Amino acid sequence: MSDEVKSAEATESGEVDRSPSLYDRWAAVREHEAAVAALTFLGVFLAPLVLVVLPEMLGVPTQYIWYRSLIVLALIWGIFAVGYDLLLGFTGLLSFGHAIFWGTAAYAAGIFSANVTGSPIAMILVGTTTAVLFAWVIGWISLRRGGIYFAILTLAFGQMIYYVFLSPLGWLTGGENGFTGVEVEPLLGFLPLGAEVAVVPDAIVQTWMYVFVGLAAVLAVVVGNRILNSPYGVVLRAIRENEQRAEFVGLNVWRYKLMAFVISGAFAGVAGSLYVIQRSFVPIENTLNWTVSGEIVIMTVLGGVGSLFGPLLGAGLYMYVANIVSGMPAIGDFWHMILGLVFVLVVVLLPEGLWGGLTWLRERAAEAFGGEDR
Amino acid sequence: MSAILETDGLVKEFGGLTATDDVNLSIEQGELLSLIGPNGAGKSTLINLITRMLEETEGDIRFEGESITDLEPHEVVQRGIGKSFQTASIFPDLSVEENANIASLGAEHGDFRFNFLVHRNSYPEVEQRTLETLEAVGLRDQRNTRAADLPYGDKRRLEIGIALASEPSLLLMDEPTAGMSPEETQATVELIEQLQEELDLTILLVEHDMEIVFSVSDRIAVLNRGSIIAEGTPDEVQGDPSVQEAYLGGVEL
Repeated sequence: MSDEVKSAEATESGEVDRSPSLYDRWAAVREHEAAVAALTFLGVFLAPLVLVVLPEMLGVPTQYIWYRSLIVLALIWGIFAVGYDLLLGFTGLLSFGHAIFWGTAAYAAGIFSANVTGSPIAMILVGTTTAVLFAWVIGWISLRRGGIYFAILTLAFGQMIYYVFLSPLGWLTGGENGFTGVEVEPLLGFLPLGAEVAVVPDAIVQTWMYVFVGLAAVLAVVVGNRILNSPYGVVLRAIRENEQRAEFVGLNVWRYKLMAFVISGAFAGVAGSLYVIQRSFVPIENTLNWTVSGEIVIMTVLGGVGSLFGPLLGAGLYMYVANIVSGMPAIGDFWHMILGLVFVLVVVLLPEGLWGGLTWLRERAAEAFGGEDR
Repeated sequence: MSAILETDGLVKEFGGLTATDDVNLSIEQGELLSLIGPNGAGKSTLINLITRMLEETEGDIRFEGESITDLEPHEVVQRGIGKSFQTASIFPDLSVEENANIASLGAEHGDFRFNFLVHRNSYPEVEQRTLETLEAVGLRDQRNTRAADLPYGDKRRLEIGIALASEPSLLLMDEPTAGMSPEETQATVELIEQLQEELDLTILLVEHDMEIVFSVSDRIAVLNRGSIIAEGTPDEVQGDPSVQEAYLGGVEL
């Protein structure tokens, strides 16, 4: 993203004689943080219209189209994936333990709601804080090793925590049944998340849950974008590109890696808390199980590692295959295989993921509209 | 003149092999000292000990009078020892400007900052240094080029630019002309001489090309089998029979 910022600037300053084409102006706008926020906002809040209402109007059978709570779920996983990509795509660290942060946040938020208060915002704060603490400790230990050893260490911690939550802490966590006592209260004390939003047309948001999760997703993208535009944006990519050289410009590479790990853990924590708020239940198999750590890798790679928006698309595609394709007649039972095929196709044909594919299309379009080729 | 860097009885053993054997080397402020020696003489080991990539077996390294043996590599850099690598060690997928930007961040902000929510625009001093770095190595016009797409000689210049951005008082240069064409080599030699004059840098140069070594060095230290066998001005070293014997193999220079 950020290298595009500079080329956009260069176009403005360096080539004054050339009147900027439509595409160049669009590119310059796209890179402003406010524009990123506005576009994400539009995307998130137009999604129900595009994915649910329009296909219905066009007469697509309901079993092939999205439903609203699935979009909410995809946005929640999208938040998780945006944070995960800061680690995998930008810092170049492959963690196989991010179920820990998503899962412990989910349990913390759920248990907190049962015992203290079910305020959604308080649940997110408690869940995210828990995830950050876990990320700090586990990152502190795991980051002493690189590459495959780092991945295995995070996986080992994930399994440890899974089994601790499953059995020794079963009295608290509900063991294999999951934690069932979640009590979500209305947002800000007076907006029940399940209730319909009165003023806004039904086609757009429907429930307060959608508004709440949608705003969280927009905020996640905005924060992610800011991190990429902060000094961390270059430092993390520098570590990915050449860790030794980064050390030799005087940067404490280890601490920056730990920060990337903790930041991605915080995103996972926000998402895990939202997941519990949406489901009012903490299922252990969908929170702390190691498959969750795998799913987030798949989503991020599908969407495009090293891009800001890609992980959101990846989460969406994954959710569609796992929840809609899996219910389709005849092929539904094979949805895991279909997901595998999609994954192979994306990795082989679009090494930079769905977002990379879109970028390629946009560049072709740019050539057609006479924009600067880049 | 006073010593900026001193090694004191420095020993490094790998298993049974002694790579650095009781090295007492002292680099004076402002000089260009070349370290030469046949392959396997321990030049790289010595450099890696100074940059703290390797832990010494025995001995001490003092920089500006203080021992640096307890420091991490990035702390050594923050103290003022820069390194340019044997290969063009850059950030290939980032733009030339971003490459310089990283080095400027390391120089202006120290080894770590908790500023992941602050926009890069808020640090004009970093941008300024980035521009100066690009100017210094003559890559300002290519600043939006992906670093991997630069010609090899420009990559090496960028590499040196990155090493210089932190304004080191001592620069370790590990074979800066390795793999370069004669023209690129010439340009690099000029760059080194210019740097030494303009920035008042102290340089420790490891180089195989004897022509370069004898033309740019103030002093030369010859390393063989981990020990310094000769040290002195180019003329002194050239005439030293043990050097001719061990390293130059009796070739007339």
